[in-house]
Amino acid sequence: MANKTYTKEQLAGFYRTMTRIRAFEEKAAEYFTKGMLAGNIHLSIGQEAAAAGAFAAMQPQDYFTSTHRGHGHAIARGMDSKLAMAELFGKKTGYCKGKGGSMHIADMEKMNHLGANGIVGAGQAISAGSALASKIAGDDSVTVGCFGDGSTNEGTFHESLNMAAAWKLPLVWFIENNCYGVSTEIHRVTNTPDLAPRAAAYGVPYAVVDGTNPTEVYEAMQKAMEHARSGKGPYVVEAKVYRYQGHYCGDPAVYRPAEYMENALKNDAIEKLGQRLLEAGATQEELDAMKQAADEEMTAAVQFAIDSDYPDPAEALTDMYASDNERCVAR
Amino acid sequence: MSKKITISKAIGEALHEEMVRDEKVFIIGEDMAVMGNVFAITKGFLEEFGPNRVIDTPISEEGFCGMAVGAAMRGMRPVVELMYNDFATVAADPLLNQAAKMRYMTGGQATVPMVLRAPMGAGRRNAGQHSQSLENLFCHFPGLKVVAPCTAKDAKGLLKTAIRDDDPVIFLEHKLLYARKEEIPEEEYTIPLGLADVKREGKDLTVITWSREVNFALEAAKTLEAEGIDVEVLDLRSLVPLDWDAIVKSVSKTHNVIIVSEEVKRGSYAGELSAQIAEELFDELDAPVERVCGLNICSPFSPTLEDENFPHPETIVKAVKHVLNK
Amino acid sequence: MAFEVLMPQLGLTMEEGTVSEWKKHEGDAVKAGDVILEITTDKLTNEVTSEFDGTLLKIVAQEGEDVPVKGLLAYIGQPGEAVGGSAPAPAAAPAEAAPAAAAPAAAPVPAPAAVNGSRIRISPLARKTAAKLGVDYSHLSGSGSSGRITQKDILAAVEAQKNAPAEAAPAAAPAAKPVAKSGGLELMEGDTVVKLAGMRKVVAERMWASHNEIPPVTQNIKVDVTALMKFRKMLLAETGKKYSVNDLILKATAKCLRQHPEMLVSYDGDRIIQRAHVNLGVAVALDAGLIVPVIRDADKMGLDALSAAAKDLAARAKENKLTPDEYKGSTFTVSNLGMFGIETFTPIINQPDAAILGVCAIADELDMDEEGKLFKKQVMRLSVTLDHRLLDGAVVAKFEMDLRDLLQNPMQIVL
Repeated sequence: MANKTYTKEQLAGFYRTMTRIRAFEEKAAEYFTKGMLAGNIHLSIGQEAAAAGAFAAMQPQDYFTSTHRGHGHAIARGMDSKLAMAELFGKKTGYCKGKGGSMHIADMEKMNHLGANGIVGAGQAISAGSALASKIAGDDSVTVGCFGDGSTNEGTFHESLNMAAAWKLPLVWFIENNCYGVSTEIHRVTNTPDLAPRAAAYGVPYAVVDGTNPTEVYEAMQKAMEHARSGKGPYVVEAKVYRYQGHYCGDPAVYRPAEYMENALKNDAIEKLGQRLLEAGATQEELDAMKQAADEEMTAAVQFAIDSDYPDPAEALTDMYASDNERCVAR
Repeated sequence: MSKKITISKAIGEALHEEMVRDEKVFIIGEDMAVMGNVFAITKGFLEEFGPNRVIDTPISEEGFCGMAVGAAMRGMRPVVELMYNDFATVAADPLLNQAAKMRYMTGGQATVPMVLRAPMGAGRRNAGQHSQSLENLFCHFPGLKVVAPCTAKDAKGLLKTAIRDDDPVIFLEHKLLYARKEEIPEEEYTIPLGLADVKREGKDLTVITWSREVNFALEAAKTLEAEGIDVEVLDLRSLVPLDWDAIVKSVSKTHNVIIVSEEVKRGSYAGELSAQIAEELFDELDAPVERVCGLNICSPFSPTLEDENFPHPETIVKAVKHVLNK
Repeated sequence: MAFEVLMPQLGLTMEEGTVSEWKKHEGDAVKAGDVILEITTDKLTNEVTSEFDGTLLKIVAQEGEDVPVKGLLAYIGQPGEAVGGSAPAPAAAPAEAAPAAAAPAAAPVPAPAAVNGSRIRISPLARKTAAKLGVDYSHLSGSGSSGRITQKDILAAVEAQKNAPAEAAPAAAPAAKPVAKSGGLELMEGDTVVKLAGMRKVVAERMWASHNEIPPVTQNIKVDVTALMKFRKMLLAETGKKYSVNDLILKATAKCLRQHPEMLVSYDGDRIIQRAHVNLGVAVALDAGLIVPVIRDADKMGLDALSAAAKDLAARAKENKLTPDEYKGSTFTVSNLGMFGIETFTPIINQPDAAILGVCAIADELDMDEEGKLFKKQVMRLSVTLDHRLLDGAVVAKFEMDLRDLLQNPMQIVL
């Protein structure tokens, strides 16, 4: 429910981010299916509006943590798609020199990205810790912890939120609720229709928004960020989204009813935003151009990844320790 | 100049000096601030440094250990206290999956300069969940550094270094050492990680050990000296990084080795050291390396039972004689 | 199919031989009768000739390698022919001989041998040290737990070898190999180098072993041989036969030994063997080294027979024509350096004997009779080295005194 009015340019900004995320994910899926990516990838197709809306509300000095389904966050934050794609390919030019892969993309230096994480819920405490650092240091950064519905039932959700609330840490949690933890529908294992209201138990304000509408997410997040930045403590935003793919790329998701995807496609965020853009005066050609630019960018990213070298096997032993690495890995 | 203080005071001094030196250092854990820690290590810190840097946590080990990781990734230097090292199981993910791996997974971008202080060890009749020695657990995970000092001097010097180190350091403090009074230098000093210390020179057999068992090994050495057996006591002090050179030097001199720790014997770090010595120093050995550890049991409560479960000086004497066939 | 060249059996007691030198090399053409290699047994160097015409295709046993009798040495056949495809089936298990990558000639210590068929318990450090110092630990008992030989035991053994070994390899055992120290010495200008091989090597090994294992005592005694020398002349005059001093000494020694069976013993680990026969070893100097052919049951031989046997053995020894059985089985040895003017020496015991008699030069000496009148006499010194593990000084002194008395009353020798 967007209350504010957005200019064509503002909407185009979201549209650009969302199409870039989708293009990145579709390229990743294409090359994963071709067997050119190692391991597993978890795609965020269907969740683009949530990432685009949430990250638009962040300032450059803000930090964030991400999850195994984190490509969209990285793109939305403005990370280099080439370096991200190279990391998926396990190439030495990747963000983590091929040592982390899809689940551990990070860019500490430029993007204040404290890392995607393979452990569900781990980012909750880490984001709270980052917020603690901001409080101790007295800076004005806010940390956004991004995670999914599944991790809200981890103990650390409650431990971390409790402490963050008690100490009024500049923390915003952004829950992307796609209703599924791997194969388990959230309402089979949780008694409440929404997840964010648990924040109330810790005295933390919250909002539940439509994650297929980037401006609604954006507005809720803006409010949350302002709250956190002003020293009032944490804020929780839950965005309802759809996960088009299964848990991982290639998961046929047979555990899901057909209606899930029917609803998802009816609510496709990019389609809906495209309509709004046309209504705001954009032409189909402009939309197509943005899509094509995204596609070209990601094609180039894939080419960059393919052209890049794998890390030298000797690199396996580096980066384990900040000091005395050689001795520590020797025995 | 030197002074005689308790080991808990020495640890407190290290924390205090580092907090004064670097405002990024803060301490966090259960009962650290208002109470000043159950061993009074941080008494008075709250008043001096304020609640932002001396933080009492709720009983949420996974939560506050994870937060320490996040803060450390942001350049802070949290010193976390777990009330007992046994609680590391509750905080396993932030310590073992996050702190230990973050640097590597991010291709060297992240550093996690945190210290986890964790009281360990048997002998206080604390039963199964408060008496363990989990060196093996921590040493297993690449990315962690592991320190286990015995003396007041080592504890202070090593803790200061651990706080300044950019990697996560597990700092194991034996509960039954806290009250010992020992001489330490008056002036400021640090001791590098990964440097073992020969606490007693000898030529017949090397006892490799750390933490409280160093004292037991020294007692055993005294007993054995009267019987004409000359034992060298090598205090590793830090387990990761390991001072392998010191081990090579000592074993090449004595050719007989026992490794003493309070760990459960099965899967112990003592066993790991034994394997390394057997692999690489085989030709220096005059007898098989013996591990002198706890039993493969849960830490018992009753004194007569618990005393069975960690090496005493007599246990060490017996093992030395067994290896030397005396 | 290629022919196999096997280790020959040179005498009944021979069990293995050492390849000392290959005269032909892989690829060389050989004819039946050609010498293709030299082997060394306990004391002798023997040539092995080819029984076949063809090409030496493959050398299986390298120089320095010990090969059991009938063990495979080489293949001879037609060029290009495959060899070794069918496993040779020598009578003696070729296990130790077969590996092509053989231990080098200077293998310092025998591999941990089995004692009574069981593996020797020895610590890694002790094994390394033993190899370094050339200690044969196969007969050491260990002081470590479960009887493990430790570094200390090896060092003690070295010390014991230097002084008086409390424990040593049994005399009957094959000689331990001396320390190999190849390459250790710096060469100086003009120096030349030859490989320690053949008989020299065997002598070196046996002397080293004897010297290191046996706590020796050498006892000298002076014998007035004036009468003996006259007796020798008398024999020549009366029988026309020229006996050497050595013949007479051998005869006297054999006779005296029969009266002193305690001298005829052998040390064998934890037992002492009392020898039944007086088998006299007679040391013969050769250009290539030293060999000790044996006169069996010398005590039962007349002077003639004994003299003839001694001459024959010495002559054949010099021609390298002794069979291995002829230089085995001594129970006592005589080494005569008298002809070289040696006045006294400390002979090294020829294992497994318990003693050796060294015979020195005869010299004139002035003496004084009971009336204070000077007279000339001929004297000779005898030097007996005894194995103090088995024999004591006084026991051997009695033997020496009886031998002296016998030589001073030469008629008794032949009676």
